[in-house]
Parts: sequence; C-alpha cells; structure tokens
Amino acid sequence: MSAAPAADAASLLRQHHEALGRMPVTLRAFIGLEAEKWPTFFAPEKAYLTALLESLASPTAAPLLAGVTRLETEAGCRDVKESDPHRLQDATQSLLRRQGLLPRWRHEIDQVFQALQPGIDQALYPADAPRRVVVVLYGQGIAIQRDKLWARLRGIGRRVPLRLESATGSEPFLRALFASGSPGRLSPSFGLDPADAWIVEAGDTLHALCDEGTARATGLSHARLRSYREALARSLYKKVLEGVSGPQELAAYVRELDLAPPEGALLHSDPVVRAFVRDVLLGGNGALLVNNTFVEWSSVQALKRAQPRLLVARFGVRDKMKPFSSLLLFSSPRPTDQVPIVEDPFGSFVDVEQLSYYVWLNAEKSAAYRGKTLYLFLAEGVDEMLALRPHPTEAADDLPAATLSEVSSTIAGWLGAAPGPVAAAPIAALAG
Amino acid sequence: MPFLLDRRDVLRGAAALLADAVLPRRTRAAAEATETRAIVVTFGGGVRWGDTFAPEGWPNIPHLVNDLVPMGLFFPETRYDGLTGHFNATGALVTGCLQNVDAYGSEAPTTPTVFECFRKERRLPPEAAWVVASNKSFGLLGGSKLRDWGDPCAANVILPKHFLLQAIRSAVATSDGPGVEDREALAKRMVSSLDEGYEGFGWKVHETGREIGKEVRATLAKSLLDYFNDPLVPTSGDELTYFMTMEIMSRLAPPLLLVNFWDIDVAHFGAYSLYLEAIRRTDRLVHGLWQHAQSVPAYRDRTTLIVVPEMGRDGDPSGNGFQNHRSGDESCRRVWLLAVGAGVPRGLVSPRPIRTLDVAPTVARILGFKMPEGEGRALSELAF
Repeated sequence: MSAAPAADAASLLRQHHEALGRMPVTLRAFIGLEAEKWPTFFAPEKAYLTALLESLASPTAAPLLAGVTRLETEAGCRDVKESDPHRLQDATQSLLRRQGLLPRWRHEIDQVFQALQPGIDQALYPADAPRRVVVVLYGQGIAIQRDKLWARLRGIGRRVPLRLESATGSEPFLRALFASGSPGRLSPSFGLDPADAWIVEAGDTLHALCDEGTARATGLSHARLRSYREALARSLYKKVLEGVSGPQELAAYVRELDLAPPEGALLHSDPVVRAFVRDVLLGGNGALLVNNTFVEWSSVQALKRAQPRLLVARFGVRDKMKPFSSLLLFSSPRPTDQVPIVEDPFGSFVDVEQLSYYVWLNAEKSAAYRGKTLYLFLAEGVDEMLALRPHPTEAADDLPAATLSEVSSTIAGWLGAAPGPVAAAPIAALAG
Repeated sequence: MPFLLDRRDVLRGAAALLADAVLPRRTRAAAEATETRAIVVTFGGGVRWGDTFAPEGWPNIPHLVNDLVPMGLFFPETRYDGLTGHFNATGALVTGCLQNVDAYGSEAPTTPTVFECFRKERRLPPEAAWVVASNKSFGLLGGSKLRDWGDPCAANVILPKHFLLQAIRSAVATSDGPGVEDREALAKRMVSSLDEGYEGFGWKVHETGREIGKEVRATLAKSLLDYFNDPLVPTSGDELTYFMTMEIMSRLAPPLLLVNFWDIDVAHFGAYSLYLEAIRRTDRLVHGLWQHAQSVPAYRDRTTLIVVPEMGRDGDPSGNGFQNHRSGDESCRRVWLLAVGAGVPRGLVSPRPIRTLDVAPTVARILGFKMPEGEGRALSELAF
C-alpha cells in the first residue's frame, strides 16, 4: 500500500473504477462524498482516502465486505440506481432505517473499518514517522485550582516544577516559552511549515506575538474571528427566521454560504484552512459562541484532519451565559440586549479541565500521534507543568525546576528543530 | 443585575395588563376520584451515569443521593436502547415502545401514550393528564398519531416558556383603550427579553390539534406572569417548568403528570461547568417537586414519583464526550431510575436490569389502567 496521496480525486476514482463497481453501494456513496471534499482536504486526509480505497479494492477486503452487501440486499439498497453520491446515500440510508437494519449495518461497517485500519495506519504512520508535540495552555484569568489542576491526567503524566522568574503574566510567559533560543526572536512554530504548526486560541495574545516575529503557523483565534462569527450567525439566524424545513435544508444552506474570514483574521490563510474554520464554526457544539469550545473543537478537528506536528491549544476565560440561554447555537446577538458581558473564571477552569483532557484523548485515538507525541500542559503564571511522553522513563525522584526556556528547548528537541544559538538545555527526563 | 430588574419591571407591567382579565375560579380536574397519582420526571436533556450516580457524580445530585434515594427504590441498571434523540427517547418513556419518528418532534409517537390509555379507559377530562415540558418541541408528546387515539384523549401539553410568550403577546394584543403604542413597545421588549433563540434551530413548537381550556390557560398565564415578580425570578427554562408544574399540581391536581426538565442539554455548548450546574439545578428542582407533592393534600401519601433520564450522553472516549448524545455508546444507553412514594419500598436498590420502556406500563399499573402490549414491563418491585 502506498502512503502517497493521489494527484486528485477524479484520477483516484478512475484508478479504482472497477473496484468501486463491486463495492457495497453504501460504501460507494461514502467514497463519492469524500471525494467531493477533496479540494478542502488537508494532505493527510488525501493520503487516508487514497489508502482506504486501495485497501477496499484489494482482494483480501472482499470477504470483509460480504456482511455489508448482504444487509444492503436485504434492505433493497442494491436496487437503487443513482449516480449522485448525496442522493445515493440518502436513498440507501432511508431504506436501511425503514427496515430497521441501520444498527446492524453500522455494526458491519465498524467491523470492516476495524479490520482495515491497522494496515492503513501502518502504511500512513510507520514507526519512524516524525514525532509530534501538543501544548495545552490555560490562559491567564482562568481561576486555577492547584489541587485539581490537570486532575484527569495527573495519574499518567509527570509533574515538572517550573521556575518562572519574571514570566508570570501572559505575554512574558508566552515569550519565554516560545523564545526559540534566540533572545528577542519568537518562534512559536519552531521553524515548521504552517501546515505542520497550528496555534488555536481563545484570545489573540499568541497571535499578536506571531505577528511580531517570523513565525509561520496556521493560527485560529476565536477573538480575531469575531466579525466572521457574527456574520455567520447573522446569516444562519436570518435563514432560520425565514423558515427551514429541517437540519438537512439548513446544512445545504450552510454548504452554499459564501462567507470567508476577513483578511488578517488568520495567521496563514489558504482556501483549505478557510473551509476548515467555517466547518468548525458551523459544526455545532457551541464553537460559534463559546471560545473554549472553539479551541477544543478546532484542536480536535486539526488533530484528526490536518495532523500538524505541533499543536498549541490555548484556552481562555469564557463569558457567563445569559439567563434563559439554552441552545441558541445560531442565534443572533440582540441589539437591545442589556445583559452585560461577565466573565466566568471559575466555570472556565472546570470547562478547560474537561476540554484539555478531550484534546489529549482525541490525539491518542490517532495513529499519527499515538506513541510519538510529547504532551505539555501549562497554565500561565503557574510554576508547574504536566508532561506526558510515550515510553516514559522511571520516575524515581522529583524533577528539578525547569525554566520556560528549557521547556522551549525540549519542544524543539522533540520536534528535531534546530536549536537557537543560546538555547537552553532540554529537560533530560522528557527528551530523547 | 440590570437584565433581571429590567425584565421584572417589564413583566410586572404585563401582569398588570392581565389583571384586568376576569380570572377563573380554581379549576379542579374531574379526576379527583382517582386515589393514586403518578408523576414522572425526566431528569432530562441527556445525562451520564458518571456525572450523576457514579461516586464522582454524587456531589452533583445531593438531593437525590441524600434525600430521595433513601426513601425510595433505586434501579442503577436502567437502559435505553432506542434512537438517542430527546423526542424519541421521551416518546419511549411514555409509550413503553421504542419510537422512530422525527427527532425534532414534528411527528407524534406511533403507539399509544400512557396519557391516552389512561384518559380513554377511565373517560377522564383533559385536565387529568399533563405534560409540562422545557423542550419546546414536545408539543406532540401528549398523544399518538394512531387513528381513534391522539387529540381526543391526549394529555394537555404545556411548554412554559412558549406559553409565557403567548400570554405576553395576548395581554398586549388588544387594540382597545389608550396606550396601544406603549403596549406594543412593551410586548416587543418582553418578547426580546425571553425569546432569545431559546433552543435555537431545530426545536420548533409543534401545535397539537387541541388547546388547553381557556379558563385554565388564563389562570396559568396569570400565575406565570406573577411569578416573574417574585424575587426568585427564574433564570432557566427548567425553573419555569418547575413553577408551572407546581401551579398545575396545586390548582388542578392531575393524577398523571410528566415533567420534562431539559436544561442539562446546555452541554451542547461544550461548557462542562454549565452542564454540571444544570444537573445540580435539576436535582434541586426534582426534590422541590417532591416536597411540593407532600404539601398538597391531593398528592400527599398517594403519589408515586418516578425520576429517570430519558437517555445518557456520549462517554469521553466516544465522539466528543459529554457534549453530544449521538455515538450510541454504552454511556448514551446506561441511565438509572428512582421511584419514591406510594407503593414504593423504602431505601432499596434493585440490581435487576430494567429499561426506560418499563416506565409506561409501571405508570399504568400504579394508576390501574391497561396499556396495549408493548416492549416494556411493569416494575414488579413496586406494590400496586
């Protein structure tokens, strides 16, 4: 199996034309829909679709697919004559649902993917694939409870005391963490390409620091995307008020929406990143409204889709919800609203504890990150961090306190980035 | 609290407008002859075992753990196997059969509900069975779409927030008398205060074919507007539902009542603290309802309360954890059920696996009417 993605979706489908004809019709619809997304795919997604099709087309896959085919025959899916993948999927899913076969079909599909996934993972993410780093930051202002900090991960991570010196506020903390070994030269991307260095944050302090320097990262800031978020919310709310028949109609409307983040809102703006941002904001789950949900959901999606070698996820303080706010995911801000915006630092801590855990959990689900990733959890102004690395060495004693420069060197070392001229030494227990 | 004060002032004005209306005398359901009463409360919106009855969840439900479980029968192994949407899951509770209708409530259940069976068999008036729902798409939950069933024998369904908005609009709608412009401006402000996209897209109000009686509506509307003058002005949909339920109990004493709480579904925002806060609020409101039942003679010592989540939410390893309930994993399926009150053994925990589908036949046994054969079975541990 090749790990190189096809040149384009059309040639990929042409290459596997015969195999697609033999494939269960529901899988064919799925492949067709995925192929349509090709222009908005990141490179790892293209590579995955290529590898998946190769797997499905291989003779060894045929027996795995028999169960799905049997169910499709029982439901009448194989009699559906439809070339458009959207209509094909709607028709076959509707038949399966009507016959009560959906749970069994899901089970069969799960079985197919469980069987194929190890081979695909092996091809795409060999043992010698590049190592990765995920940095999760709690921004200043979150009401940190030291006794509960990183509670869900403490049992598997290693506590590292930090010597902050004067870097207690957000900006000096971030400057020290991302100083890259060269005084005054910030490099939150550690010399990686934008595709491989992602920064997702609730506010925009880190973005502002990137603007100063030469860092080339893909950056998503909930704060900087404010006007875009509001424009999206207004469009959706207008549509909802006009009347929509159901989620499918709204989803179709969303697909056609021609809105893009304004110039300068993203650190690195290309069509794929812009489509990604839109998908994240419109994917529900509160990302449009709640800054930390945006950080978590963007991070999870970036880990899954773009698979950057470095991800920095920086949470912030969430605003309090207004009375009677239930699920106003797509509501428009009210011009007459008299509720002042009040921050919720205590609730934010509870939120980010759960959300940062989800970032780690989702990274570990992916073969791209599992066993290859150094995770660092830091809270601005807090003189300790939690580190998780694969194959940790025996933790005999407490570690000596490290400076943020040493943390920075540890990140650079793990990524294989060139150290700066006056770089600090990496933390020995985490390096290597 | 500028918003609350402002809203309270505005609503006080609306209450004054309504005061001119001739309020009906207290209405009593013609079902007083029914001795026993059943209240089913959905600890609703989708809640996980781990955030409630697992030891780490106990701090979120102090009233259930300390006050209600010791006086009732608890089923920790309760399961829901259907579609993990609110309407279908609650539909399963009230029919005893898994439902597969529109997830946003535009279709009624496909098998008879407890409300229809109860009213039809006992020839009871509409005020005998009520659904009070925070989820505003639950308008069609009171009756099935079967021929010979449905509206004529369905429950009264009241969606408190929607109801309040209607009351406000109606109060200022008359074109008679002076100050029409002021009243319109007042209505606009009030609606703006309350109608801030509540539940947002997807959750529409689906009207049933039958309306709540005019007098009952007027009484409840007045109560609701008055409630906003209370210093403990509600700040969530479930608090309105709680208040409305207490009013219905006090004024109409229906023998069968389903209360749907739903604030917990705020979890979709992705803020874990808000989700936990909603669980704690629901715990407090459930306990408050039980205390209220003990203070109303029509309910005291003759009421069985059943508290049950309609479904769970995704476990952490699935999907995006607490935020959703779409993975269909074990965490979405595993819930719990607590029964308290008349006919319920005290302080027992039954390890027997049960299903949420068992609620409807259990209610039928409590109230002594027949349900068509369905998938659920009455809980034999209760003394009927």
